Amino acid sequence: MDNFLQLLIYGLQLGSIYALLAIGYTMVFGIIRMINMAHCDFLMMGCYMVYFLVSVLFGGEMIGPAVALLVVMAGSSVIGMVGVGIERVAYRPLRNRPTIMCMISAIGVSIFTQNLFRALPFIGPNPRSFPKLIEDFTINVGAVKISFTRIVTVTLSIFIMLLLWFVIQNTKIGMHMRAVSNDKDAAALMGVNINRVISITFFIGAFLAAVSGSFYASSYPVMQPTMAVTLGNKAFIAAVCGGIGDIRGAVLGGFVIGVAEILVTSVWSEFAYGFCFLVLVVILLFKPEGLLGKPMTEKV
Amino acid sequence: MRMLDVKDLHVSYGAIKALRGVDFHVEEGEIVALIGSNGAGKTTTLRTISGLERAFKGEILFKGENICRTAPDKIVGMGITHVPEGRRVFTNLTVMGNLKMAASLRKDKAAVKRDVEAVFDRFPRLKERMNQSALTLSGGEQQMLAVGRAMVTGGELIMMDEPSMGLAPMIVEEIFHVIDEMHRSGKTILLVEQNAMMALKYADRAYVYETGSVRLEGNAKEMLNNPIVKETYLGA
Ligand SMILES: Nc1ncnc2c1ncn2[C@@H]1O[C@H](COP(=O)(O)OP(=O)(O)OP(=O)(O)O)[C@@H](O)[C@H]1O
Ligand SMILES: [Mg+2]
Repeated sequence: MDNFLQLLIYGLQLGSIYALLAIGYTMVFGIIRMINMAHCDFLMMGCYMVYFLVSVLFGGEMIGPAVALLVVMAGSSVIGMVGVGIERVAYRPLRNRPTIMCMISAIGVSIFTQNLFRALPFIGPNPRSFPKLIEDFTINVGAVKISFTRIVTVTLSIFIMLLLWFVIQNTKIGMHMRAVSNDKDAAALMGVNINRVISITFFIGAFLAAVSGSFYASSYPVMQPTMAVTLGNKAFIAAVCGGIGDIRGAVLGGFVIGVAEILVTSVWSEFAYGFCFLVLVVILLFKPEGLLGKPMTEKV
Repeated sequence: MRMLDVKDLHVSYGAIKALRGVDFHVEEGEIVALIGSNGAGKTTTLRTISGLERAFKGEILFKGENICRTAPDKIVGMGITHVPEGRRVFTNLTVMGNLKMAASLRKDKAAVKRDVEAVFDRFPRLKERMNQSALTLSGGEQQMLAVGRAMVTGGELIMMDEPSMGLAPMIVEEIFHVIDEMHRSGKTILLVEQNAMMALKYADRAYVYETGSVRLEGNAKEMLNNPIVKETYLGA
């Protein structure tokens, strides 16, 4: 039982990372009906961004929780802007073409970014280690050990996701995002600047991916340009399991995949990644639109 | 004053030429109807005026200003309100949410509130369904909501694309009644209709489209008696 609880904690931590990453896939899909194959690279960029900020500003010293939070938020905001820029140059010009073209462009962006990062002298192909941002310690609850990093990761992730949900449900920009995802032309006819709403969506998606990168690297501190590919695949599976286009679905899917992966790893670690796909297939067999997704209605 | 002036408008969808040189104009305070058979290009004309499609040739002057290259949201801000074909209400928002969306560009909260009240007075059924998802509305109620949104957006020129499509005769009467009220309150109306009889009854002038261009134009009441119009569009 204790062992199970311990694994559950690990699962929740990994799940919150997948959930943050999955939100970006699902939001971008919701708003422009395109799967952003380059989304996972925002996670990787977020890690390098924080790495450089910490080495330049603090010489790689440990910086304590408050400053660490500030650095992660600032670094992730920069990546959010990168997301806005990528949409602007690589996806927007293709907006009125079939979405498959946009997705091919995204694959191009992903391969280009990873190879550019490999080629840059100050990044390079070799793994680097993510800086230790805060002094970690462990809390014992009965026989269950919970590290401070894990607590921070899970609570902050949940806080961020609740905040996002609040913004989408209760603010003007949130309502505009929902309207644009429902019917772009109609939203434009209400005076909504569609390009602005799409840019904001990309900012949020890339920002959350970068934040999840810092959370991930705080526990698994090995960075390299291709580090996010499998994470991205799993988060994408999570988004599809939950019902792509639905933010709550992405969160639920993230936690389901995270917990399932950890539980399977504990008994058969080689099969954990494969098991994620198995979860996907089983969910889609019984509910093709995903756990919380609504059946797709084709619009003309 | 000339509210809208469309000159030699050409629009195509890839290889399909939807408009091949359309000319028409709307004076301030008029109701102008565009009628014509399926696929003649009426919807394309409205979408191009709103900036949702791009013309490759020609001009659209709104109060003298060329808006051919203006973004749709800017055009709304300039005072053109477009009730699109097929209603296009936001099915993931409530009735109230849809009306709030229509007020996106308006800053005067009190006046918006008054206009929303006016919509509810006009369409009590929308008031009853205020907090209900627009997905659950009937076709007629969705059209009421689409017209209600236009009442809230409140531009000077209101363009309506087939407001009577698929509606029961009683609801068609109701919708046209509201269009008439909007007109009386000082709005200029550009009306696209399959229901030519209804449109000509309300309009001052009309243009008859045929495969991408204007074939006939004139006074709406005279057109009701025009033998060509009668035979082709009024089914007489
Ligand atoms: N998105 C599109 N892609 C390709 N062709 C289109 C598109 N929209 C319209 N067309 C074509 O453009 C032409 C004009 O269509 P449009 O919808 O403007 O006609 P309409 O007069 O509004 O017809 P209706 O009375 O049936 O609504 C038609 O031949 C139509 O097939
Ligand atoms: Mg039409």
